[in-house]
Amino acid sequence: MPSKSKKSRPGTDRPISITAVVDCVGALASRSLHGNLYLYDTNRAAGSTGLGTEELRTRVRAGDRLLWNVISLECETYAAIDAIVVDPEVCEPERHTYPGTDITYWTATVKPGAPDVAHYQVRLRLGTRTEPITTTLRPALVG
Amino acid sequence: MAQQLAIIVLVDIGGALRDRTLDDNVYVFDNMRFQGSTGEGTGDLVTAVNGSYWSDGSQGTEQVLNWLPYALGGIPPTVPRGYAAERSRQIDQQALDDLRALADGADDEAAGGVNRIRRDIGTRVRSTRGARGLTSRKVLDVTGRPVSGADAAAAHNYATPIITDITGEAVDEKIIYPAEYGSPDMVTDGWYWSATIDTARPGTYAYTMHVQLHELVERDAGLRWEAVDLTCEARLRVVTEPKRNAFTGGGLGLLPVYPAPPAAPAAPPA
Repeated sequence: MPSKSKKSRPGTDRPISITAVVDCVGALASRSLHGNLYLYDTNRAAGSTGLGTEELRTRVRAGDRLLWNVISLECETYAAIDAIVVDPEVCEPERHTYPGTDITYWTATVKPGAPDVAHYQVRLRLGTRTEPITTTLRPALVG
Repeated sequence: MAQQLAIIVLVDIGGALRDRTLDDNVYVFDNMRFQGSTGEGTGDLVTAVNGSYWSDGSQGTEQVLNWLPYALGGIPPTVPRGYAAERSRQIDQQALDDLRALADGADDEAAGGVNRIRRDIGTRVRSTRGARGLTSRKVLDVTGRPVSGADAAAAHNYATPIITDITGEAVDEKIIYPAEYGSPDMVTDGWYWSATIDTARPGTYAYTMHVQLHELVERDAGLRWEAVDLTCEARLRVVTEPKRNAFTGGGLGLLPVYPAPPAAPAAPPA
Protein backbone atom coordinates (compact mmCIF):
# COMPACT_ATOMS: atom_id res chain seq x y z
CA MET A 1 0.00 0.00 0.00
CA PRO A 2 1.28 3.52 -0.71
CA SER A 3 2.58 5.57 2.19
CA LYS A 4 0.97 8.69 3.54
CA SER A 5 2.45 11.74 1.85
CA LYS A 6 1.11 14.25 4.35
CA LYS A 7 3.38 14.60 7.36
CA SER A 8 1.66 14.85 10.70
CA ARG A 9 2.59 14.03 14.24
CA PRO A 10 1.44 10.54 15.11
CA GLY A 11 -1.90 10.43 16.86
CA THR A 12 -2.83 14.06 16.22
CA ASP A 13 -5.22 13.62 13.30
CA ARG A 14 -8.53 11.79 13.24
CA PRO A 15 -8.26 8.06 12.49
CA ILE A 16 -10.28 6.39 9.76
CA SER A 17 -13.27 5.06 11.67
CA ILE A 18 -14.91 1.82 10.57
CA THR A 19 -18.33 1.39 12.17
CA ALA A 20 -20.24 -1.88 12.24
CA VAL A 21 -23.98 -1.26 12.49
CA VAL A 22 -25.49 -4.55 13.59
CA ASP A 23 -29.10 -5.70 13.67
CA CYS A 24 -28.67 -7.68 16.88
CA VAL A 25 -32.16 -9.14 16.88
CA GLY A 26 -31.79 -10.34 13.28
CA ALA A 27 -28.32 -11.76 13.92
CA LEU A 28 -29.38 -13.56 17.09
CA ALA A 29 -32.53 -14.93 15.46
CA SER A 30 -30.69 -16.25 12.39
CA ARG A 31 -27.43 -16.99 14.24
CA SER A 32 -25.59 -15.23 11.45
CA LEU A 33 -24.38 -11.75 10.64
CA HIS A 34 -25.25 -12.25 6.99
CA GLY A 35 -27.88 -9.67 6.07
CA ASN A 36 -27.70 -8.19 9.55
CA LEU A 37 -24.49 -6.17 9.34
CA TYR A 38 -23.86 -2.81 7.68
CA LEU A 39 -20.26 -1.59 7.56
CA TYR A 40 -19.33 2.06 7.05
CA ASP A 41 -16.15 4.09 7.18
CA THR A 42 -15.23 7.75 7.16
CA ASN A 43 -12.98 7.56 4.12
CA ARG A 44 -15.50 7.54 1.26
CA ALA A 45 -13.99 10.75 -0.14
CA ALA A 46 -10.63 8.95 -0.54
CA GLY A 47 -12.24 6.06 -2.42
CA SER A 48 -13.77 3.60 0.04
CA THR A 49 -16.55 1.53 -1.55
CA GLY A 50 -19.23 -0.92 -0.43
CA LEU A 51 -20.51 1.30 2.37
CA GLY A 52 -23.59 -0.18 4.00
CA THR A 53 -22.66 -3.73 3.00
CA GLU A 54 -20.76 -6.57 4.64
CA GLU A 55 -18.00 -6.18 2.04
CA LEU A 56 -16.83 -2.67 2.82
CA ARG A 57 -13.56 -1.83 1.07
CA THR A 58 -11.77 0.83 3.08
CA ARG A 59 -9.16 2.86 1.21
CA VAL A 60 -6.02 3.03 3.36
CA ARG A 61 -2.37 3.99 3.08
CA ALA A 62 0.59 2.79 5.12
CA GLY A 63 0.68 4.76 8.35
CA ASP A 64 -3.08 5.35 8.50
CA ARG A 65 -4.64 4.81 11.92
CA LEU A 66 -7.85 2.77 11.92
CA LEU A 67 -10.55 2.63 14.59
CA TRP A 68 -13.33 0.03 14.64
CA ASN A 69 -16.44 0.43 16.77
CA VAL A 70 -19.98 -0.88 16.76
CA ILE A 71 -23.50 0.55 16.88
CA SER A 72 -26.49 -1.67 17.59
CA LEU A 73 -29.80 -1.01 15.85
CA GLU A 74 -31.54 -1.86 19.11
CA CYS A 75 -29.89 0.51 21.54
CA GLU A 76 -30.75 -1.67 24.54
CA THR A 77 -28.94 -4.71 23.10
CA TYR A 78 -25.34 -5.51 23.96
CA ALA A 79 -22.95 -5.59 21.00
CA ALA A 80 -19.16 -5.46 21.07
CA ILE A 81 -16.29 -6.37 18.78
CA ASP A 82 -14.59 -9.52 20.08
CA ALA A 83 -11.77 -9.55 17.53
CA ILE A 84 -10.59 -8.18 14.20
CA VAL A 85 -9.07 -11.12 12.36
CA VAL A 86 -6.49 -9.79 9.89
CA ASP A 87 -3.06 -10.75 8.59
CA PRO A 88 -0.55 -9.32 11.14
CA GLU A 89 1.60 -8.22 8.20
CA VAL A 90 -1.13 -5.68 7.43
CA CYS A 91 -1.91 -4.37 10.91
CA GLU A 92 -2.30 -5.61 14.45
CA PRO A 93 -5.60 -4.41 15.96
CA GLU A 94 -5.68 -3.80 19.71
CA ARG A 95 -8.68 -3.51 22.00
CA HIS A 96 -9.21 -0.35 24.08
CA THR A 97 -12.01 1.09 26.18
CA TYR A 98 -13.38 4.62 26.17
CA PRO A 99 -12.03 6.14 29.43
CA GLY A 100 -14.38 5.74 32.37
CA THR A 101 -16.57 3.15 30.59
CA ASP A 102 -16.51 -0.51 29.64
CA ILE A 103 -17.39 0.29 26.01
CA THR A 104 -14.67 -1.00 23.72
CA TYR A 105 -13.14 -0.02 20.40
CA TRP A 106 -10.25 -1.42 18.38
CA THR A 107 -7.37 0.46 16.78
CA ALA A 108 -4.51 -0.43 14.43
CA THR A 109 -1.97 1.28 12.22
CA VAL A 110 -1.53 0.10 8.62
CA LYS A 111 1.99 -1.23 8.18
CA PRO A 112 4.27 -0.39 5.25
CA GLY A 113 4.46 -3.09 2.61
CA ALA A 114 0.93 -4.39 3.20
CA PRO A 115 -0.73 -6.00 0.15
CA ASP A 116 -3.04 -3.88 -2.00
CA VAL A 117 -6.09 -5.85 -0.87
CA ALA A 118 -6.18 -7.26 2.64
CA HIS A 119 -9.38 -9.06 3.62
CA TYR A 120 -10.31 -9.38 7.28
CA GLN A 121 -13.13 -10.62 9.47
CA VAL A 122 -14.97 -9.02 12.37
CA ARG A 123 -16.02 -11.17 15.32
CA LEU A 124 -18.90 -9.76 17.38
CA ARG A 125 -20.36 -10.55 20.78
CA LEU A 126 -24.12 -10.02 20.80
CA GLY A 127 -26.75 -10.08 23.51
CA THR A 128 -26.30 -12.84 26.06
CA ARG A 129 -24.98 -15.33 23.50
CA THR A 130 -21.79 -16.83 24.90
CA GLU A 131 -20.13 -17.61 21.57
CA PRO A 132 -19.09 -14.73 19.28
CA ILE A 133 -20.42 -14.53 15.71
CA THR A 134 -18.00 -13.94 12.83
CA THR A 135 -18.73 -12.14 9.57
CA THR A 136 -19.38 -14.53 6.71
CA LEU A 137 -18.48 -12.11 3.93
CA ARG A 138 -15.15 -10.37 4.26
CA PRO A 139 -14.54 -6.61 4.31
CA ALA A 140 -11.14 -5.43 3.11
CA LEU A 141 -8.48 -2.77 3.47
CA VAL A 142 -7.43 -1.68 -0.02
CA GLY A 143 -4.44 0.40 -1.08
CA MET B 1 -49.86 -0.43 23.69
CA ALA B 2 -48.55 1.22 20.55
CA GLN B 3 -45.80 -0.50 18.66
CA GLN B 4 -42.52 1.44 18.84
CA LEU B 5 -40.70 1.85 15.53
CA ALA B 6 -37.14 3.20 15.75
CA ILE B 7 -35.41 5.08 12.97
CA ILE B 8 -31.66 5.58 13.26
CA VAL B 9 -30.15 8.46 11.30
CA LEU B 10 -26.40 7.86 10.96
CA VAL B 11 -24.61 10.95 9.65
CA ASP B 12 -21.11 10.98 8.14
CA ILE B 13 -20.46 14.35 9.72
CA GLY B 14 -17.03 14.87 8.18
CA GLY B 15 -18.46 14.28 4.72
CA ALA B 16 -21.57 16.38 5.34
CA LEU B 17 -19.57 19.36 6.64
CA ARG B 18 -17.20 19.10 3.69
CA ASP B 19 -19.95 18.75 1.06
CA ARG B 20 -22.45 21.00 2.88
CA THR B 21 -25.17 18.47 2.13
CA LEU B 22 -26.53 15.27 3.64
CA ASP B 23 -26.87 13.72 0.16
CA ASP B 24 -24.64 10.61 0.18
CA ASN B 25 -23.64 11.45 3.77
CA VAL B 26 -26.55 9.99 5.68
CA TYR B 27 -27.53 6.36 6.26
CA VAL B 28 -30.97 5.64 7.67
CA PHE B 29 -32.18 2.42 9.33
CA ASP B 30 -35.29 1.15 11.03
CA ASN B 31 -36.26 -2.01 12.90
CA MET B 32 -39.14 -2.89 10.58
CA ARG B 33 -37.30 -4.80 7.85
CA PHE B 34 -39.40 -7.88 8.71
CA GLN B 35 -42.50 -5.85 7.84
CA GLY B 36 -41.10 -4.89 4.45
CA SER B 37 -39.06 -1.71 4.98
CA THR B 38 -36.65 -1.11 2.11
CA GLY B 39 -33.44 0.85 1.65
CA GLU B 40 -32.03 -0.06 5.06
CA GLY B 41 -28.69 1.65 5.66
CA THR B 42 -29.03 3.97 2.68
CA GLY B 43 -30.17 7.54 2.13
CA ASP B 44 -33.47 6.23 0.72
CA LEU B 45 -35.22 4.43 3.54
CA VAL B 46 -38.88 3.52 3.14
CA THR B 47 -40.29 2.44 6.49
CA ALA B 48 -43.12 -0.06 6.28
CA VAL B 49 -45.89 0.77 8.75
CA ASN B 50 -48.51 -1.91 9.15
CA GLY B 51 -52.14 -0.97 9.68
CA SER B 52 -54.09 -0.35 12.81
CA TYR B 53 -55.80 -3.73 13.07
CA TRP B 54 -54.45 -6.75 14.84
CA SER B 55 -54.05 -9.94 12.86
CA ASP B 56 -57.30 -11.21 14.47
CA GLY B 57 -59.20 -8.25 12.95
CA SER B 58 -59.70 -6.26 16.14
CA GLN B 59 -59.00 -2.55 16.31
CA GLY B 60 -55.35 -1.77 17.07
CA THR B 61 -53.76 1.28 18.60
CA GLU B 62 -51.67 3.76 16.64
CA GLN B 63 -48.01 3.22 15.80
CA VAL B 64 -45.23 5.35 17.26
CA LEU B 65 -42.01 6.41 15.53
CA ASN B 66 -38.82 7.46 17.34
CA TRP B 67 -35.86 9.08 15.55
CA LEU B 68 -32.33 8.65 16.90
CA PRO B 69 -29.52 10.62 15.18
CA TYR B 70 -25.95 9.27 15.53
CA ALA B 71 -22.52 10.44 14.32
CA LEU B 72 -20.54 8.08 12.09
CA GLY B 73 -16.95 7.82 13.24
CA GLY B 74 -17.57 9.39 16.62
CA ILE B 75 -17.70 8.04 20.14
CA PRO B 76 -20.63 5.58 19.92
CA PRO B 77 -24.00 6.34 21.54
CA THR B 78 -23.58 3.41 23.94
CA VAL B 79 -21.27 5.36 26.28
CA PRO B 80 -23.08 6.62 29.40
CA ARG B 81 -25.43 9.54 29.13
CA GLY B 82 -23.63 12.91 29.27
CA TYR B 83 -20.29 11.24 28.55
CA ALA B 84 -18.57 14.35 27.20
CA ALA B 85 -19.57 16.44 30.23
CA GLU B 86 -18.55 13.67 32.61
CA ARG B 87 -15.19 13.28 30.85
CA SER B 88 -14.59 17.01 31.21
CA ARG B 89 -15.01 16.68 34.98
CA GLN B 90 -12.76 13.60 35.10
CA ILE B 91 -10.03 15.38 33.14
CA ASP B 92 -10.11 18.38 35.51
CA GLN B 93 -9.92 16.05 38.50
CA GLN B 94 -7.00 14.18 36.97
CA ALA B 95 -5.16 17.46 36.37
CA LEU B 96 -5.62 18.40 40.03
CA ASP B 97 -4.40 14.98 41.15
CA ASP B 98 -1.35 15.33 38.92
CA LEU B 99 -0.66 18.76 40.40
CA ARG B 100 -0.94 17.31 43.90
CA ALA B 101 1.53 14.57 43.02
CA LEU B 102 3.93 17.19 41.67
CA ALA B 103 3.56 19.29 44.80
CA ASP B 104 4.37 16.33 47.03
CA GLY B 105 7.87 16.26 45.58
CA ALA B 106 8.34 20.02 45.33
CA ASP B 107 9.67 22.65 47.73
CA ASP B 108 7.41 24.24 50.34
CA GLU B 109 6.63 27.29 48.22
CA ALA B 110 5.45 25.22 45.25
CA ALA B 111 3.45 22.88 47.48
CA GLY B 112 1.80 25.83 49.16
CA GLY B 113 0.92 27.29 45.77
CA VAL B 114 -0.72 24.08 44.59
CA ASN B 115 -2.70 23.77 47.82
CA ARG B 116 -3.92 27.36 47.40
CA ILE B 117 -5.08 26.53 43.85
CA ARG B 118 -6.99 23.53 45.17
CA ARG B 119 -8.70 25.66 47.81
CA ASP B 120 -9.60 28.31 45.24
CA ILE B 121 -11.13 25.74 42.90
CA GLY B 122 -13.20 24.29 45.72
CA THR B 123 -15.15 21.07 45.67
CA ARG B 124 -17.66 20.23 43.03
CA VAL B 125 -20.65 18.04 43.59
CA ARG B 126 -20.89 15.25 41.09
CA SER B 127 -23.84 15.98 38.84
CA THR B 128 -26.30 13.32 37.88
CA ARG B 129 -27.69 15.42 35.06
CA GLY B 130 -25.31 14.69 32.24
CA ALA B 131 -26.79 16.68 29.41
CA ARG B 132 -24.96 19.96 28.87
CA GLY B 133 -24.30 22.34 26.06
CA LEU B 134 -21.37 21.78 23.75
CA THR B 135 -19.65 24.96 24.89
CA SER B 136 -19.26 23.83 28.50
CA ARG B 137 -17.42 20.66 27.49
CA LYS B 138 -13.81 20.00 26.72
CA VAL B 139 -12.92 19.05 23.18
CA LEU B 140 -12.38 15.28 23.09
CA ASP B 141 -10.94 13.14 20.35
CA VAL B 142 -12.71 10.05 18.99
CA THR B 143 -11.22 7.90 21.77
CA GLY B 144 -12.46 10.15 24.59
CA ARG B 145 -9.10 11.83 25.31
CA PRO B 146 -8.75 15.62 25.47
CA VAL B 147 -7.22 17.44 22.53
CA SER B 148 -6.10 21.06 22.47
CA GLY B 149 -4.71 23.77 20.22
CA ALA B 150 -4.32 23.02 16.53
CA ASP B 151 -4.86 19.30 17.19
CA ALA B 152 -8.41 19.97 18.36
CA ALA B 153 -9.67 21.07 14.97
CA ALA B 154 -7.99 18.12 13.24
CA ALA B 155 -8.84 15.35 15.67
CA HIS B 156 -11.97 16.30 17.64
CA ASN B 157 -14.87 13.95 18.09
CA TYR B 158 -17.80 15.25 16.06
CA ALA B 159 -20.76 16.45 18.07
CA THR B 160 -23.81 14.20 17.85
CA PRO B 161 -26.23 15.52 15.23
CA ILE B 162 -29.47 17.03 16.46
CA ILE B 163 -32.87 16.80 14.78
CA THR B 164 -34.51 20.22 15.02
CA ASP B 165 -37.74 19.59 13.09
CA ILE B 166 -39.63 17.08 10.98
CA THR B 167 -41.75 18.45 8.16
CA GLY B 168 -43.03 17.49 4.72
CA GLU B 169 -45.83 15.60 3.06
CA ALA B 170 -46.43 13.11 5.88
CA VAL B 171 -46.85 16.00 8.34
CA ASP B 172 -48.92 18.19 5.99
CA GLU B 173 -51.22 15.24 5.24
CA LYS B 174 -51.59 14.62 8.99
CA ILE B 175 -50.22 11.10 8.70
CA ILE B 176 -47.69 11.76 11.46
CA TYR B 177 -47.75 14.17 14.38
CA PRO B 178 -44.08 14.70 15.26
CA ALA B 179 -42.81 16.48 18.37
CA GLU B 180 -39.70 16.57 20.49
CA TYR B 181 -39.89 14.89 23.88
CA GLY B 182 -37.67 14.73 26.93
CA SER B 183 -37.22 11.49 28.81
CA PRO B 184 -34.74 9.66 30.98
CA ASP B 185 -33.59 7.93 27.80
CA MET B 186 -30.13 6.47 28.31
CA VAL B 187 -28.58 7.11 24.91
CA THR B 188 -29.79 10.42 23.54
CA ASP B 189 -29.18 12.81 26.44
CA GLY B 190 -32.88 12.77 27.14
CA TRP B 191 -34.25 14.42 24.01
CA TYR B 192 -35.70 12.70 21.02
CA TRP B 193 -38.21 13.24 18.23
CA SER B 194 -41.22 11.03 18.18
CA ALA B 195 -44.47 10.85 16.22
CA THR B 196 -47.71 8.96 16.27
CA ILE B 197 -48.89 7.64 12.92
CA ASP B 198 -52.40 7.57 11.51
CA THR B 199 -52.41 4.12 9.95
CA ALA B 200 -55.95 4.43 8.57
CA ARG B 201 -54.83 5.96 5.27
CA PRO B 202 -52.56 3.64 3.30
CA GLY B 203 -50.02 5.22 0.99
CA THR B 204 -46.40 6.32 0.73
CA TYR B 205 -45.59 9.65 2.33
CA ALA B 206 -42.28 11.52 2.31
CA TYR B 207 -40.99 13.54 5.24
CA THR B 208 -38.01 15.81 5.76
CA MET B 209 -35.66 15.65 8.72
CA HIS B 210 -34.00 18.93 9.66
CA VAL B 211 -30.61 18.01 11.06
CA GLN B 212 -28.24 20.37 12.84
CA LEU B 213 -24.54 19.56 12.81
CA HIS B 214 -21.83 21.41 14.70
CA GLU B 215 -18.55 22.43 13.16
CA LEU B 216 -15.50 23.33 15.26
CA VAL B 217 -13.98 26.41 13.64
CA GLU B 218 -11.18 28.77 14.60
CA ARG B 219 -12.46 32.31 14.90
CA ASP B 220 -11.29 35.36 16.85
CA ALA B 221 -8.19 33.46 18.02
CA GLY B 222 -10.33 30.75 19.59
CA LEU B 223 -12.28 27.62 18.74
CA ARG B 224 -16.04 27.84 18.38
CA TRP B 225 -18.81 25.40 17.62
CA GLU B 226 -20.91 26.72 14.77
CA ALA B 227 -24.26 25.23 13.76
CA VAL B 228 -24.75 23.92 10.22
CA ASP B 229 -28.37 23.18 9.31
CA LEU B 230 -29.04 20.55 6.63
CA THR B 231 -31.98 18.37 5.61
CA CYS B 232 -32.58 14.85 4.36
CA GLU B 233 -35.64 12.86 3.33
CA ALA B 234 -37.13 9.49 4.08
CA ARG B 235 -40.53 7.92 3.45
CA LEU B 236 -43.24 6.01 5.28
CA ARG B 237 -45.26 3.34 3.52
CA VAL B 238 -48.49 2.79 5.39
CA VAL B 239 -50.15 -0.51 4.42
CA THR B 240 -53.29 -2.34 5.51
CA GLU B 241 -51.38 -5.41 6.70
CA PRO B 242 -52.15 -6.07 10.35
CA LYS B 243 -49.60 -5.37 13.01
CA ARG B 244 -47.87 -8.52 14.07
CA ASN B 245 -45.29 -9.87 16.44
CA ALA B 246 -41.92 -10.43 14.75
CA PHE B 247 -41.20 -13.46 16.90
CA THR B 248 -44.49 -15.32 16.63
CA GLY B 249 -45.94 -13.94 13.38
CA GLY B 250 -49.23 -13.44 15.23
CA GLY B 251 -50.80 -10.41 16.85
CA LEU B 252 -49.27 -8.52 19.72
CA GLY B 253 -51.34 -10.24 22.38
CA LEU B 254 -50.23 -13.05 24.60
CA LEU B 255 -47.08 -14.88 23.63
CA PRO B 256 -47.56 -18.62 22.94
CA VAL B 257 -45.90 -19.69 26.16
CA TYR B 258 -46.53 -23.23 27.31
CA PRO B 259 -48.40 -23.43 30.63
CA ALA B 260 -45.92 -26.15 31.59
CA PRO B 261 -42.73 -27.44 29.93
CA PRO B 262 -43.47 -29.99 27.20
CA ALA B 263 -43.27 -33.53 28.49
CA ALA B 264 -39.92 -35.25 28.03
CA PRO B 265 -39.91 -37.94 25.34
CA ALA B 266 -40.46 -41.44 26.62
CA ALA B 267 -37.33 -43.42 27.36
CA PRO B 268 -36.51 -46.01 24.69
CA PRO B 269 -37.39 -49.60 25.59
CA ALA B 270 -34.60 -51.39 27.38
